[in-house]
Amino acid sequence: MKRVHLTLALAALLTTTPVLAEDGTLTVWADATRQPAVEAFIAAHPEIKVNLVVDDGSSGASGTFQTKISLADQAGEGWPDVVFSTQNNDAAWASKETNGVQPFAQVLNEGFLDAEFLKGFTPGALDPVTVDGKVYGLRNDLAPVLFWYNKTLLAEFGYDAPTTWEDYQALGDKLAAEHPGYFLGAIGDSFEGPYVYYWSGEAPIFQVEGETFKSDTAHPNSKKVSDLIDHMVANKTLTLDSLFGASFVANASKLVAIPGAAWYAGALFQNPGNVNAKAGDWVAAPPLTWKDGAKVTGNVGGGVWYASSHTANPEGVKTFLKFIVSDTKIAGTGGLPAYQSAADAWLDGQAKSGFFAGDFKGAISTAAASVWSGWGYPNFSPETAWAKVITPGLAAGKTMTELSADWQQEMKNEAQVVGYTVE
Amino acid sequence: MPPTPPPASRSHRRGSVERAQGRIGLAFVTPYALFLLAFGLLPTLYAIYLAFTKKGAFVGFANFLKVFKDYRFLPAVEHVGIFLVVWLVALVLLVVVLAIMVHSIGMRWLSGTMRFVYYIPGALAGASSVMLWLFVLDPTVSPVAFLLEAMGFDSLVSVVQADRLPFVLAIIAFWTGAGGWIVVMYGALNNIPREVLEAARVDGAGPIRTAWSIQIPLMRKWIAYMVVLSFAGGTQLFVEPRVLAQASRGVVSQDYSLNQLAFLYAFKQSDFNGSAAISLVLLAVALVLSIVFVFKGGLFERA
Amino acid sequence: MSAHENSGPARALTPAEWLGRAVTILVLITFALFFVVPLIWLLIAPTKTDRQLLLEMPFAFGDFSTLAANWTSLVTFQGGLIWQWIGNSAFYCGAALVITLLISIPAGYAMALTEFPGRRALLATTLVVMLVPGTALVLPIFLELSAVRLIGNPLAAILPFSFFPFGVYLTYIYFSTAVSRDLLDAARIDGATEFEVFLKIAMPLATPVIALVGFFNFTGNWNNYFLPYVTLPGKKAPIQVGLAELLSNVPAFNPTNAASTTISLSALALATLIAIAPVMIVFLFCQRFLVSGMTAGGTKE
Repeated sequence: MKRVHLTLALAALLTTTPVLAEDGTLTVWADATRQPAVEAFIAAHPEIKVNLVVDDGSSGASGTFQTKISLADQAGEGWPDVVFSTQNNDAAWASKETNGVQPFAQVLNEGFLDAEFLKGFTPGALDPVTVDGKVYGLRNDLAPVLFWYNKTLLAEFGYDAPTTWEDYQALGDKLAAEHPGYFLGAIGDSFEGPYVYYWSGEAPIFQVEGETFKSDTAHPNSKKVSDLIDHMVANKTLTLDSLFGASFVANASKLVAIPGAAWYAGALFQNPGNVNAKAGDWVAAPPLTWKDGAKVTGNVGGGVWYASSHTANPEGVKTFLKFIVSDTKIAGTGGLPAYQSAADAWLDGQAKSGFFAGDFKGAISTAAASVWSGWGYPNFSPETAWAKVITPGLAAGKTMTELSADWQQEMKNEAQVVGYTVE
Repeated sequence: MPPTPPPASRSHRRGSVERAQGRIGLAFVTPYALFLLAFGLLPTLYAIYLAFTKKGAFVGFANFLKVFKDYRFLPAVEHVGIFLVVWLVALVLLVVVLAIMVHSIGMRWLSGTMRFVYYIPGALAGASSVMLWLFVLDPTVSPVAFLLEAMGFDSLVSVVQADRLPFVLAIIAFWTGAGGWIVVMYGALNNIPREVLEAARVDGAGPIRTAWSIQIPLMRKWIAYMVVLSFAGGTQLFVEPRVLAQASRGVVSQDYSLNQLAFLYAFKQSDFNGSAAISLVLLAVALVLSIVFVFKGGLFERA
Repeated sequence: MSAHENSGPARALTPAEWLGRAVTILVLITFALFFVVPLIWLLIAPTKTDRQLLLEMPFAFGDFSTLAANWTSLVTFQGGLIWQWIGNSAFYCGAALVITLLISIPAGYAMALTEFPGRRALLATTLVVMLVPGTALVLPIFLELSAVRLIGNPLAAILPFSFFPFGVYLTYIYFSTAVSRDLLDAARIDGATEFEVFLKIAMPLATPVIALVGFFNFTGNWNNYFLPYVTLPGKKAPIQVGLAELLSNVPAFNPTNAASTTISLSALALATLIAIAPVMIVFLFCQRFLVSGMTAGGTKE
């Protein structure tokens, strides 16, 4: 008897089918920062069911997105309908077939979304996700680096706001001498170093030409950035804390100024769990440049929404994508929306609220229009090498000058592994 | 008790009984043999096939060469190697010493309690034990923050720096696995006849000499068993550095161990051939160890 | 169990012996603390808020309302995902347990008490495979399952989980030591068929080894991370994989999630506790039992 039952149980088990019911539910993978926006979509479109899976958004180039898609490719199921990634370089792999499985990313510009809608993006916003004329994703926000400073604190200390990297460093010296404990930025995450400092500082660290990857940490501009970082880490005006770590938040009232992306607006200054600035204290100023350098800046992510080529509900996906990138209330998720009309609405709203002092709209528009083009989007990120070599190196008391050759080597090695020719 | 053959007096029935036994024996081992085939032999053969081919064409050792030349391969070997040395030395020394100590205390309740307490963490393995250690190693929340701070660590990142990581991993592995081995060694010590230990004491041997010249030699097989299993298991390092990589924002790199590298080959580079090559190297190490131990180690003489 | 303690006839300890004894006990207690302190901390952590975790005494108890709040935030996380993970684990491990027992017990019996061609070869193979760590075969098994399109199917965990050579070996050792061939022969003389001999004579004696094999199989599978991580992606993941996924929702470990906190540190501690609870409970109840199993490999009684 027992055996019969067991055999039946076994038979039932073996015939269990793994396929879930296809009811048109959209499965969306996004990070926690995007959660409120997805919830806003659910509220606005109750007719479309959404299943949000919160992940790390591949932050720090963790590769979550690619790994999970590879696994789904092997399973032959389990693909999401829409994915958000904080990285800008996923199109490099998502546009390619792997082991006989179709490319994950849906081509969006050849009929999937109407050309009229796509034209609404800020010019150049879709460049990082365009491969051979095909658009594989929609930018969530533009993330040009600008210069944020606390004008109340600067006035109290009697300093002028810097406009060049040289002035910024000099301000660090004064601050360290006269007001120790106050500081001018952080370099504890893997994105500030490469994007905020090296990219903005016109350092040719991460360049792609065709199938060739180039990185030159010995270039004069690279050296200038390394010296700047070393100098300011040494006098403690650059902290090694993560922007979102407990100790940065605890010291946030001593933050005097910080070069950083447009999305710092929502993620830091207007975030009650972070800097939580007082209205009117902080100014968004045009990006810092070298005294004799070009008027350019860097870019920190900005994130991309991808549609799955496997989706069973393309109409739902279209509705979702259009809403999430262009809705005037939520697009940009705390940063500068990549979609022009939403960007205008966000800028006007910020200007009207008066939270940020100074010419907020002017500064952000200047920055958005001057992102330095000498930075590539290969199939890997400078962040993994930074986290592996620089973060622990700096924590152990080494300097950028000592570490930058290793960093360069690590990036070149990574490039080689994914198939680039390395110079 | 060794298995005894059936007595000869029943020889008249012997033939048919043996045939019946043979039939049921075969029937009983067939499902197991099929699993052995499906999840032992076949995956190995398939991995061999993948490792020596590329897009279905035979390529000799090309996949292996590519993997060995990969800039991540040698560091991964080095990481795993250092971890193994640290861990195995600590494991052998501490397990033997602790087992002898537990065995030497007269108070039965104390020795029982100790074994029990040492054994509990064995319930945790994989992701959950690393998760727990994330808390213990993060100076901001750690219950032993004072220790970490005394050693000069102020953040998780500084605790899991590359040169300390083998020690961190060894501590986690020791915490999870040592208790079980202490219990095993204790059992082995119990098998040593009391008279032998008594005689040693009468001869004037102190506890240290007794341990060195009587107890440890008699535990040798078990120590070898522990080393073989731990070594083979240690080469497979995967979940610990993986979870640490997730938690340390990449400071512990995703290509820290060999298995992680094989994983990256499969899921990041979509190169199953390279992945199979690494897996095969690891499998070969484990197999060689295991074969040598089974046939030379003397622990399984009955077989 | 024979008396094995070194107590001997009562006599006074010399100062050196006394010192040795004191050092021994001190060392043992130090290690006991090492083993048990992290677990005690884990029991307390979910009763606190993150702020309390960061600022207060590590071993101070928080309060039950915080525990309740952490519980709520965890079980409502993504619509009760944690229960789905636990359910997956229970399904995979439970099904594998049944199959493992159905396969290992007869196989071990046959290898111990019957003669058939290839017995010694099978036994030697079992020993060798048993010592190869399970993780060594994960990627090859993944590649194999992927070739037959089984990835993502529950069988992709259940079948590999049911392959348990150590269980076969334990059963083999048990039957060849605890059950005598004479007993079986006696039954045969009474006219029992071979199958009846197994079912009526051997099986009733096998309860301890069934429990032992079941325990090792279940706990090993419950704690397995690598195999289900690659063979069962997404919502089909078991709790160990889910636990690691939770990490990416904890801002303290994954800093870009700035805007909204979804899982707090204390809720993560609670999740860890829930993940280990089933195994921990079995563990605490079967401790004695396990010890005999772990030594069964080679002691000769």
